[in-house]
Amino acid sequence: MITRAPIAVIIFCAVIIQAVDKSNFKTCSQSGFCKRQRDHKPAESQYRALLDAVEIGPSAIKVHLVNKQNSAKLLLEVFALQDNTVRVKINDLEPNKLRYEIPVGDVLVQEPQQASLQVHSKDSSHMKLKVQDNTVILYASPFHMDFLSSDTPVMSLNSQGLLKYEQYRSKSKNEAAEDKPVDGVDENPGEEQEKEEENTAEEPDMWEETFKTHQDSKPYGPSSVGMDISFPGFEFVYGIPEHADDLALKSTKDTDPYRLYNLDVFEYELNNPMALYGSVPYMIAHNEEKSVGVFWQNAAETWIDIRSNTADRGMFSKLVDFVKGDDKIPQVDTHWFSESGIIDMFIMLGPQPKDVFRQYGLLTGTTPLPPLFALAYHQCRWNYNDEHDVASVDAGFDEHDIPVDVIWLDIEHTDGRRYFTWDAHKFPHSDEMIRNVSAKGRKMVTIVDPHIKKDSNYFICQQFQDRDLFIKNKDDSIYDGWCWPGSSYYPDFTDPKVREFWASKFHTDEYKGSTNDLHIWNDMNEPSVFNGPEVTMHKDAKHMNGWEHRDVHNVYGLYVHRATYEGIKLRGGNNHRPFVLSRAFYAGSQRYGAVWTGDNKADWTHLKISMPMLLTLNLVGLTQSGADVGGFFTNPEPELLTRWYQAASYQPFFRAHAHLDTRRREPWLQPPDHKQVTREAIRTRYRLLPYWYTVFQENEATGMPVMRPLWVEFPKEKETFRIEDTFMIGSSLLVRPVTDAGMTSVSVYLPGQDQVWYDRDTWQMKNGGQQVLVNVNLQKAKNMLSSQIPVFQRGGSIIPQKTRIRRSSILMADDPYTLIVALDKKNALSSFSWKTDFLSFISKRQQGHAKGDLYEDDYYSFRYKNGQYIKRRFTFANSKLSSSDIHSGGISMKSNAWIERVIVVGYAQHPSSVGLSTGSKQSDLSFDYDSERRVLTIRKPGININEDFTITVQ
Amino acid sequence: MLAHAVFVLLGRKMNWLYLSSFCLYFAVIGGEVKRPRGVAISKASLYDPSHDFPCFDGSSVIPFDHVNDDYCDCADGSDEPGTSACPNGSFHCTNAGYIPKYIPSSRVNDGICDCCDGTDEYSGKVTCANYCLELGRQHREEQEKKRALLIEGHQLYKEYCINGQEARQKKMERLEEIQKEKEDLEDRRNALEAAKVEAEIPESEAKQRHLDTWKAEKSRRKEEADMVKMAAAFEDLDSDKNEIITYQELQTHLEFDIDSNGEVSDEEAKEYLEEGSEVDFSTFSAKVWPHIKDIYKQPVTKTESQPDESNGQKSHEEEHGDEDGDGTGDENGEEIDDDEEETPNPEEYDVDEGDQEDDNDDEEGDDESHTPWKERFIDAKQARGDNEDRNHNEDDDDTKDMPEYNEETKALIEVADKARAAFNEVNDVYKELEKEINAINAFLSLDLGENNEFYSLKDSCYEYVDREYTYKLCPYNKCTQRDKRGGVETSLGNWGKWSEEKNKYDAMIFEKGQSCWNGPDRSVKVLLQCGLSNELIGASEPNKCEYEFKFQTPAVCRTLPLEIQPELHDEL
Repeated sequence: MITRAPIAVIIFCAVIIQAVDKSNFKTCSQSGFCKRQRDHKPAESQYRALLDAVEIGPSAIKVHLVNKQNSAKLLLEVFALQDNTVRVKINDLEPNKLRYEIPVGDVLVQEPQQASLQVHSKDSSHMKLKVQDNTVILYASPFHMDFLSSDTPVMSLNSQGLLKYEQYRSKSKNEAAEDKPVDGVDENPGEEQEKEEENTAEEPDMWEETFKTHQDSKPYGPSSVGMDISFPGFEFVYGIPEHADDLALKSTKDTDPYRLYNLDVFEYELNNPMALYGSVPYMIAHNEEKSVGVFWQNAAETWIDIRSNTADRGMFSKLVDFVKGDDKIPQVDTHWFSESGIIDMFIMLGPQPKDVFRQYGLLTGTTPLPPLFALAYHQCRWNYNDEHDVASVDAGFDEHDIPVDVIWLDIEHTDGRRYFTWDAHKFPHSDEMIRNVSAKGRKMVTIVDPHIKKDSNYFICQQFQDRDLFIKNKDDSIYDGWCWPGSSYYPDFTDPKVREFWASKFHTDEYKGSTNDLHIWNDMNEPSVFNGPEVTMHKDAKHMNGWEHRDVHNVYGLYVHRATYEGIKLRGGNNHRPFVLSRAFYAGSQRYGAVWTGDNKADWTHLKISMPMLLTLNLVGLTQSGADVGGFFTNPEPELLTRWYQAASYQPFFRAHAHLDTRRREPWLQPPDHKQVTREAIRTRYRLLPYWYTVFQENEATGMPVMRPLWVEFPKEKETFRIEDTFMIGSSLLVRPVTDAGMTSVSVYLPGQDQVWYDRDTWQMKNGGQQVLVNVNLQKAKNMLSSQIPVFQRGGSIIPQKTRIRRSSILMADDPYTLIVALDKKNALSSFSWKTDFLSFISKRQQGHAKGDLYEDDYYSFRYKNGQYIKRRFTFANSKLSSSDIHSGGISMKSNAWIERVIVVGYAQHPSSVGLSTGSKQSDLSFDYDSERRVLTIRKPGININEDFTITVQ
Repeated sequence: MLAHAVFVLLGRKMNWLYLSSFCLYFAVIGGEVKRPRGVAISKASLYDPSHDFPCFDGSSVIPFDHVNDDYCDCADGSDEPGTSACPNGSFHCTNAGYIPKYIPSSRVNDGICDCCDGTDEYSGKVTCANYCLELGRQHREEQEKKRALLIEGHQLYKEYCINGQEARQKKMERLEEIQKEKEDLEDRRNALEAAKVEAEIPESEAKQRHLDTWKAEKSRRKEEADMVKMAAAFEDLDSDKNEIITYQELQTHLEFDIDSNGEVSDEEAKEYLEEGSEVDFSTFSAKVWPHIKDIYKQPVTKTESQPDESNGQKSHEEEHGDEDGDGTGDENGEEIDDDEEETPNPEEYDVDEGDQEDDNDDEEGDDESHTPWKERFIDAKQARGDNEDRNHNEDDDDTKDMPEYNEETKALIEVADKARAAFNEVNDVYKELEKEINAINAFLSLDLGENNEFYSLKDSCYEYVDREYTYKLCPYNKCTQRDKRGGVETSLGNWGKWSEEKNKYDAMIFEKGQSCWNGPDRSVKVLLQCGLSNELIGASEPNKCEYEFKFQTPAVCRTLPLEIQPELHDEL
């Protein structure tokens, strides 16, 4: 048993870097709707559900909600969806003006598949619905809803009465019309007084709002929607990125609410709820028994308040006659509100973490398996100056025998920040340059931002203007904002026509000087507008069909990302997997590639925060995510840079990047000792690429995160719920990066009472359920073993890896595998030698077990979608390692890769022989046994990876 | 051929997939020496197929059929010279016709041709052409060019050395010469200096006497004037002309309003009268006048009405000016000062009393008196700094209107002037010599290279023009950059030192150039390479504000080429 207190102390004492100019960004009190919604305090809801007139369908019900004070009417729809998911939608019943809804297919992969819904009971006070194993109870008055997973209450909607729907109406304070409900229903004159209170007295921010020098004309007036969501029985909630904050979300009682509004924040501050570049309004609640999720599908500016409370015990006893002991039942209350749009919630009822991930994946999709190079090491800088510079960086990696897969070019490669062009002096032969890089299996990436230089001689600007594809001001003139190229226009990516046209520009005929080995980076797609309010676009700018920017802001970046992804996909004849990195994101962005945490800083605190930030992104499906290695701003000292490489080599998207004003910091420019450690960190990434690739494939298939908080793998272990300095890659590797200066040892919590762990450097075995101290002394870099960060392989797992580190990942495609078989506790004996003889006798019967998968394909194409891949399961049991085909379809593919070595760690006794059988053939294998470390190395089985085999250890 | 058959052992457990690689188990080079693939001829003997193979590091001994079997057995990688199996192994390309080399084992069979003879790729993944002969030819041509360059360059280098040596020699000779000259001059100079000092003593004493007399006279005149003013003031204040000034009489003069409440209270008035209610003339002149003379305002006269009207009650400043006879020109300055004033505090005026000889002084004094306390601390510091000037001015002013020196003094001055002239004449020559000695010493302390070969670069500048900028290198002096479209020259650094690399004369370091916004001071590293002329051939900025120049010069053509290129194969 260990105490989590020290970790909590570290978390809350983290040094705050005062860098951001906070006055550039709104606080809640500076945002009209945030203030109005937040001022709405918990009370009995004014809404009543008209259960007598409920419409019941096979998988959905429709109910009218009436505001008791002003008779305003809303339409509530509840849909039962496949896989323990319920959708709750609240919209105007008879809208004065349509509210924005994100088109199906843009964030939701498709219209969610509905499931059957049974009405279990119904009277005028409530109705009880059954959705698979779950119960939904809808109470008429005051309107609220409870959700039960296998009879355990897990979620309530509007139990605090915070449902607040600002319906569109016309301006003019003194007209009687204004007092009438917008749906035109006659009101009872006697209720006028009360109604005034409910439908919000006029406030100055309602019809126009000014922030700094920027005016928001708000032609349609107030339109925000808000509601409370409670999680009875839960203490911990996660998700709702992007914030530079802890993994376990904090109470916002004494701060602003967590804000979701995609913003380009210069030198962002850590440990606070300010908005950053991306928004995913998706929250997961987890306790020892259950995991549930809620996705609030709304693209407008959104704020979320969080409070830790105690649940109403009555709810538990009344509903299910179930109370756990006498303890207080914890509860997390949350309050969500958005500036416009509708209330559209997806409630995922788990009940386990893996279920929630799958359920969310069904709705918004998962990360398509990245091409292998995307998972390897990326070298970026603002800027590699010219072709010569690129060639010398490319050569530098070879000279120092450090692998790299992608060399990146930032904005200076263009002709005056005109994307899709090249600086003719610095990059006169860009296609040749790319070919030279790709000759070693490497790729290049150029930046293409969504702001288009206003220049009638610039073909992109001209073509988009001719086709009328730019965002407009409210007076229908083209919206003109300031960004890198100066005065710029912004294509309206919400429009499918615009996306299609944009996509066509990536063809090598259009994007002159590019090749199919060039991939793309979308930056500044929040969108960033240097001279706009909060460095972004004016909310009253106009998009397709007259929607205001306010309605679509948070999803704009996703659309840019998507259009680019589709362009690269199209360029490769829909057969090559694209790689596109985006800074802005929304729910569903995972379908288009990678994201990163934006402009961080060369500071230990920023290295440390990258862990919770990336874990959160992984929880909400953005699995291909990373932080700039070394920190974007300022110069990292060698130790920080080295530690950053070590940490990032175990983060999903692994890219070094640096600001224009920083010193060069390619890995070989480090002092010799640090260079060695850095090189080893990068090479370790390549060694483990087969495992990474397999985990990413699992992610695509199941929605399981790639980088996982410990509680995802150990959901019943409360000690893990707050841990963010240690995490898992897949289910088999535990990683604890070093994020402080001068550390010679760090303590690591190894979860799992019955679990054993093996130090990946020494194969030393440790028992789970305890804190262990690991040597991480960087000064002893000559001894590579002690300079690594703590990484443990889980007992019971088998990890495939490759030991021949080539210049780039694709050059390793045919190379043989080494399988690391880490036995579980059954065979993992205590290290006291006096026991050995006795236990070796026991172990004959209690053999160690392990299993693991391997996924392989051609690493770059979509042919895997047609079954052209290999998927093997390795199982070690009863001293036999076997490999079986778990390919789900008929077609497979041929591989040149074979198995060169099997290492069984935690193997208790010296074997007498090792035999291999494949098909009908039998043969002996030579082996080496290290009795001190209990490591059995089986020499060269030599079987093709796609062959079934059994290796028997006697 | 027998040996070959023995060597090509097919592992029993080997799979068809990688069987092909083992057919190429041994490469046969030139039909002569048989050795495992990837092994240099020089190491061939270490791989003896008739024995088990001991790893080079002695870590273990393995059956010979484990050599190059695509599995790494030796910790040092020595068992797999021809495959990619060992992470730390290396593969030897013979590269017949060109330069042999080792490549990391990880480059064997990775689909990229690394050896010009193509031997690193034998898996069939890619077919590599053998272009060693072509490379060898190019290499020889380049070597020949380089050789010619080195020979010619070295010739120039030697000339540079000679020039440098000669220049240095000359400088040293000259140094010796003028040092001697200087020494010779030393005695004469000392004698003349002594004579000068001797003549100056009576001169300065006489001058001082004269000045003292004048100061005493001036002081007497000033006191007289003060008395006149005092008497006038008494008469003015004594409004009832009874030879007694009462506090009531003072109350009509608003300048005595200490707390600036618009009226002179009884207490205020009495305070000026030394806590009494009245004073007679003698008490007034001895005790009261010294305290009030800077506060008291003369009744307005016709000529001074202008400033007075514009400036309220305080007219004493003008009075001060008048006292010295040159007040009018500085009135404006004083008025500005007055505007800043708080209500005057009589006690503070005491501080300034009596030593204010000119308008500058008044300004300083007023500042101190009237600025709010916090600021005064700072002002006082500044004032202290200004004191020297002030004293200097006082001295100057002491001589103002001073009568001519008497004849005796004049004679002493003439004698001293002559002594000074005689000394100065010699001293000037002496100083010149000293200057030249310093210059030569500075030159001699310059690091002009092992053989003074960089002397020839010393006083020249070289330019390099790229698309945007003109860069300039002036060795031992500075580096600059200028935008081609115009604008001022930016300093990239001043001569700092030779590099700290293995051969320090391979690079010059210029430091402390114009500092960068958000960055360090600009600096330049100038990399030198052998060339037949002095030419700046490249300039770049690999890090923000850290520049790198490439400069070619015969001054670094130190070595003659080796007659043979031993590493180049002459096989074939």
